[in-house]
Amino acid sequence: MRIDRVTARAPIAVACAAGLLLAAGAATGAEYGPVAQRAIDGAKAYVKAKGLKNPTLDILLNSLYRNSFPDFAKEWQGLTGVAIKAEPLGYTDIPSKVMGEAVAKTGAFDMFNDFPYTQPDAASAGVLKPLDEYAAKYKPDFSGVPEAFIAQQFYNGKQYSFVLDGDHIILVLRKDIVENPKAREEFKKATGKDLGCPANMADWEEQAKFFHTEAGQTRWGVKFDKPLYGAMGYRSVNFSHRHFPAYFGGLLFDKDMNPRINSAQGTKAITAFSSIVQYMPKDIQGWGTPQIYPFWASGQAYSVMSFPSIFGYGNANPKSLVKQKQVPCVIPASTASEKPVRRAAEAAGTGYMVNSYSDHPELAYLFIQWLTSPSVGNRAIAHPRGFWDPFRKANIGHKGILKKFGQEFLDVTLENAQYTTSLLYIEGHYEYMKILDNNLADVMNGNIKPEEAAKRVEKGWNGVTEDIGRKEQIEAWRKGVAAGLYIDKF
Amino acid sequence: MRPPNGPFARLGAWLSRERVFRWIPFVLVEGTFILVIIIPFLLTIYISFLRWRANRPFEQAYLSGFRNYEAVLSDTGFWAALGRTFYFAGFAVVFELVIGFVLAMLVHRVVRGRRIYITVFLIPMMVVPVVVGYNFSMIYIDHGPLNQLLSPLTTLLGMEPRIRWLSDPLAAQWAIILADVWQWTSLTFLIFLSGFSALPPQLISAARVMGASRWQIFWWVEFPLLKPAIVIAVVVRSMEALKLFDPVVLLTFGGPGTSTQTVAYYLWEQVWQFNKFAFGAAASILLLILFSALIFTGIWLMMRERTRLDRERAS
Repeated sequence: MRIDRVTARAPIAVACAAGLLLAAGAATGAEYGPVAQRAIDGAKAYVKAKGLKNPTLDILLNSLYRNSFPDFAKEWQGLTGVAIKAEPLGYTDIPSKVMGEAVAKTGAFDMFNDFPYTQPDAASAGVLKPLDEYAAKYKPDFSGVPEAFIAQQFYNGKQYSFVLDGDHIILVLRKDIVENPKAREEFKKATGKDLGCPANMADWEEQAKFFHTEAGQTRWGVKFDKPLYGAMGYRSVNFSHRHFPAYFGGLLFDKDMNPRINSAQGTKAITAFSSIVQYMPKDIQGWGTPQIYPFWASGQAYSVMSFPSIFGYGNANPKSLVKQKQVPCVIPASTASEKPVRRAAEAAGTGYMVNSYSDHPELAYLFIQWLTSPSVGNRAIAHPRGFWDPFRKANIGHKGILKKFGQEFLDVTLENAQYTTSLLYIEGHYEYMKILDNNLADVMNGNIKPEEAAKRVEKGWNGVTEDIGRKEQIEAWRKGVAAGLYIDKF
Repeated sequence: MRPPNGPFARLGAWLSRERVFRWIPFVLVEGTFILVIIIPFLLTIYISFLRWRANRPFEQAYLSGFRNYEAVLSDTGFWAALGRTFYFAGFAVVFELVIGFVLAMLVHRVVRGRRIYITVFLIPMMVVPVVVGYNFSMIYIDHGPLNQLLSPLTTLLGMEPRIRWLSDPLAAQWAIILADVWQWTSLTFLIFLSGFSALPPQLISAARVMGASRWQIFWWVEFPLLKPAIVIAVVVRSMEALKLFDPVVLLTFGGPGTSTQTVAYYLWEQVWQFNKFAFGAAASILLLILFSALIFTGIWLMMRERTRLDRERAS
């Protein structure tokens, strides 16, 4: 009897299994677009041609991705048999590891995951593999990616990386306050303006000033047990320079690499950058992301200028008091530049590079093309534990991304992406920017005037340019500007 | 007896020969010394004369005479960081010496629970610097425990209750000094405690019999005998404090601005952030000369004190 039943069920089971397999196959085909599929096929062919057994690629990974990257590494291994071993490291330490590899030439890492700003130094040192040959062979797709993001993948005309993270800074306001009728009325009465996303930096500071509230006060029917800070933004060493382009609103150098900061525009930008600090938490000059994000989520600030992921953090963090109480805004326009221009600096934004000394650079390239391809990249950006931010038009239509970020935020961030400008993208980036940070700190602390800071920055920048080589710097700078890295042209 | 067979056996027999065996420790020690000290040191000197940043391949480097030395000596950032280092080290070492000395003196006199006190006072030294830095970064938050603790005092004095420990230039400097004092007072405590324990009891008993007061015994008997321990503590802690790096990186990253940049941090930044390897090598050599002079002076003082005490005891 039992045997009969089993025998009778067997064809049904086989049919079901076949159906499931077909469905899975169809799903897989739909999941991977042509760019990803080329990478998968290429990797399989590479492994076969080289006769590799249990191949493994090592990646020096930004530790922000330690909880999300392994999912994709596992998936890639399942598809191609190539294992990816990740070595997570804090982002402040990655550039020195990359440059250490330039000297040691060990090939210990096949890939590097870091901000684009490490690339000029690393590429010039020869530690990054130019990817043009592989790109010509496997044809990646950059459609719908803003010009500055594409340009950040290249240096001196060669491609060195793939970007998968739109970290252009945005402004977020408190929705519950912006939509509070009493607050709106009072603001209108005091300033003559309607409350909403500020048009420029002066408007933002005006709002910050208006909403800056001491603890114990009752305003617009709300009792504030804790102070409400009017604004938040990055003002610490190693971070200030990431926000400065939004205030400066233009190219930092002329076409001969002469700094443009020691000018009326530079002084105005430094003044505006420093002035709003009075409405920020007192310790803001010592804060980075680990302090700014939770503080924003604690509901003690009216506005914050930050990476786009702060919006998701505010909605998703279990302890957040600003869930569904956030308004995303495009970057306010600079009031220092001749015309009011919006410039959202790509403040971080992680990319993927291949080590010149890797034993299998082509295989490493193929993994990177697969991960950053439109189809897989969409899933990465939608990953609940990931820190990849939307940056290409194709991100809009993805359900996972929509669910994670919401339509309102997506619309704003993709509009903001059109204003994306690179930070200074030439050799010596970190040294140039540290000089700027140090002098901005001196102004914020009242040690020097903005005019003096501008002079010091100019002198310091000229020193770096001379030390690295003015001729080479001019060449790289001009190429970057022509490629659209900074939106602005000479 | 058969001669040894096989290469390993023959090697073993050769090494066992008296004239070979006595050279083994020397060769091992000297070999290691040459490999890990002399060769890197000579390389550092060589690199310090090159025109080279790591953002260009080493093959493109070329000799540039004393260019890097001139650049270091004319860099205001270097001198400012050096001055700040002495300022931090000066205050930190003085506090560590005074607090460590007082604690050691008190614990030395304690009879009950002495071991518990010693254990507790030694704990900070054993904590990993990263943990210390992280803990202090939490303590120093502007609405954090330290400011809450100090609020009655700051309110009484009419001061701003939220001291910006990590973002005000002056407060940040003291935040680093305090973190260093908290961690390394343990070491001076240990040195002084061993100094107190080694005091000859017969001298103190004799002084007591002769009618000396407690203060006189301390000042005229104990304190002079503790001078070698004090010099050791000063030299050891000064050497370490001049290399102050961990709390700077962990608490302020040298900021705000450059207000907490020590010379160790400055060097790290020049080399590992800005890729100025040759410049960093030149700065390292200059610092080596400067700090060596200071340390040798300290050691010379220590030796002189010890010799003087030995002579006094002998007479």
